[in-house]
Amino acid sequence: MEESTLDIFVKAIFSENMIFAYFLGMCSYLAVSKTVKTAVGLGAAVIFVLGITIPINYLLENYVLQEGALEWLNPAYGKNGENTIDLGFLSFIMFIAVIASMVQLVEMLVEKFAPALYGALGIFLPLIAVNCSILGGSLFMQDRQYSTIGDATAFGIGSGIGWFIAIVAIAAIREKIRYSNVPPALRGLGITFIITGLMGMAFMSFMGVKYGEEKDDSKKEQVETSQIINSKMQK
Amino acid sequence: MAINKDGNAYTFGFSIALVVVVGVVLSSLSIGLEPLKKANVAVKKKMDILSAIGVESTRKNGEELYKEYVEDSYVISTDGEVQKDLPKEKTAFYLDVKKQYRDKNIKPEDRLYPIFEATKDGNKVFVLPVVGKGLWGPIWGYIALKDDYKTIAGVSFDHQGETPGLGAEIKQDFFEEQFEGEKIAKNGSYAGIEVVKNGSGTEPQKVDGITGGTITSKGVEEMVNRTMKVYQKYFSKK
Amino acid sequence: MSETEENLKKPKEPLFSKKNKKLITDPLSDNNPITIQVLGICSALAITVQVEQAFWMSISVVFVMVFGNLIVSLLRNLIPSRVRIIVQLVIVASLVIIVNEMLKAFVPDVSEKLSVFVGLIITNCIIMGRFEAFAMSNKPFPSILDAIGNALGYAWILLAVAFVREVFGSGKIWGYEIFGSNLPGEESGLYEMGYMNNNLMILPPMALIVVGIIIWIQRTQNKDLVEEH
Repeated sequence: MEESTLDIFVKAIFSENMIFAYFLGMCSYLAVSKTVKTAVGLGAAVIFVLGITIPINYLLENYVLQEGALEWLNPAYGKNGENTIDLGFLSFIMFIAVIASMVQLVEMLVEKFAPALYGALGIFLPLIAVNCSILGGSLFMQDRQYSTIGDATAFGIGSGIGWFIAIVAIAAIREKIRYSNVPPALRGLGITFIITGLMGMAFMSFMGVKYGEEKDDSKKEQVETSQIINSKMQK
Repeated sequence: MAINKDGNAYTFGFSIALVVVVGVVLSSLSIGLEPLKKANVAVKKKMDILSAIGVESTRKNGEELYKEYVEDSYVISTDGEVQKDLPKEKTAFYLDVKKQYRDKNIKPEDRLYPIFEATKDGNKVFVLPVVGKGLWGPIWGYIALKDDYKTIAGVSFDHQGETPGLGAEIKQDFFEEQFEGEKIAKNGSYAGIEVVKNGSGTEPQKVDGITGGTITSKGVEEMVNRTMKVYQKYFSKK
Repeated sequence: MSETEENLKKPKEPLFSKKNKKLITDPLSDNNPITIQVLGICSALAITVQVEQAFWMSISVVFVMVFGNLIVSLLRNLIPSRVRIIVQLVIVASLVIIVNEMLKAFVPDVSEKLSVFVGLIITNCIIMGRFEAFAMSNKPFPSILDAIGNALGYAWILLAVAFVREVFGSGKIWGYEIFGSNLPGEESGLYEMGYMNNNLMILPPMALIVVGIIIWIQRTQNKDLVEEH
């Protein structure tokens, strides 16, 4: 049962949603979800940044940081070489540096070439460097060892979309809840937590989705092997 | 003070100093702790292998007990041939079966399968690593087969991030113990085990799954059966 | 330089003056980083399934916060303001790497359980928040107290949530069974009488709801904290 790129993408949006399954990026999720308009802006910025930083960090991880990843520089640094280099301990600092600088770079580029987009996303970009979902995305990518850059990118964009859906949904609910009679002590933060919990439960139902075609060649092979064993036994 | 703290020169100087200090501290720490970390990973693997044959070990005596019980290890290919002259990272103990399972660049038929031969109470046992996936992430473990090649002597499972109390229970004794004595063959031919919902697990070749952990339990079933099929090819040639 | 100047101007205050004590006690309740300031929730909730994980996470955060605040406070007059955010990030990231390496080397089992969440301490907003709001403009000693206060304020919420979830979700505290054994076929204690664990408690959404309830209780007791919509 191999995971296809599409599986990874859909999974990242629904069953492994950054907010509902891992609580990543909660700080900005709670702070910037008062109106739908700002939520859409921040959500779009998150998709954008996750889609850029995860592939970059993927390359960094596979060609610089991993044990033996520097093989392309000199075979001696590779896994079978005599001077295996493992820079894995630097990964946190490298990832966060890439994220911080990419955010800065993207901000400058967008400001220069797409002023309209900058007007919409601009104020949110600096907030994103410390959004846990961005670093979390890179760390999950490292942990899960995706085998191609395509998979890693699909995971990045999928996670971003999942985050976007979550924040826009909660913002819409919070806009409406203003008209409800919530117990005073629960107003604001408390009720947001509880609603997010309930939404998380709803999202858990996506876990039942079956990913990937289960190739049922097991039966055929089973027969073959049993024939081998049988013929052995007869001897 | 004459230094302009907002000047470019100062900012550069400060950044360089910071990078040097941080770099020196972190790399010396990492190099200093490297042997400990490597040893931890290796001992953990040895403990898992020992646990499959029912030998409980601690991080302290894992190394020793491993030497005592495990006698030989080698690697086979998908068609059950023993592989020789492999580089160190592909030898039985160092082969990263988890990574091999995940890596799409390695075709399923090119995967390698390690075998550890151990002797316990005078009987020969084959310890075979298995890898699969649970609900949240990878699950893996070791299966010990008796020398009739079809009776399970013991298992040990582990997981990365299964739900505690649900899927994560696969590493608990009550789940693992059920596998002991199960046969992976029926009427002389190969047949897998089946993880079923609570109740009917007492039948032969059936094991009780974990309530609330169905996907993980099914993952265990899939990984055991898929891998055992490959090993049967090797054993049937013996 | 400026430190000695400050010392000359102000009369020396006692080590644990009222002001300093407040630095520790405030974040525990009325100014709790999680329930009031809404910081640092990201890395907190995912590891509250078991008390043990929450404990190690708290220890790591206390370590990173105390040393981070101390270092930032000592360097506060040296850090160029233009690059201060990135300098703070580098300091947190290095401390987190130290914690991660230590965990891997000395308590490998814990390190496996916490997995990526140790790394996520870097983006724990409490830490950057305290660097920016307190350590950059205060002397080392108050900064340490502030760090301890905030880290403990974070820790107790973490432990409380983990306690509720572990007790009701798996009937254990720190891995020890408190309601008896619930192994299929050999139930004892409460389980023998038909008690069942609430599996929902273990699933992610309940962490949010438990925190929501803690906030509710806290704000019912202290009406000043109630916010408008």
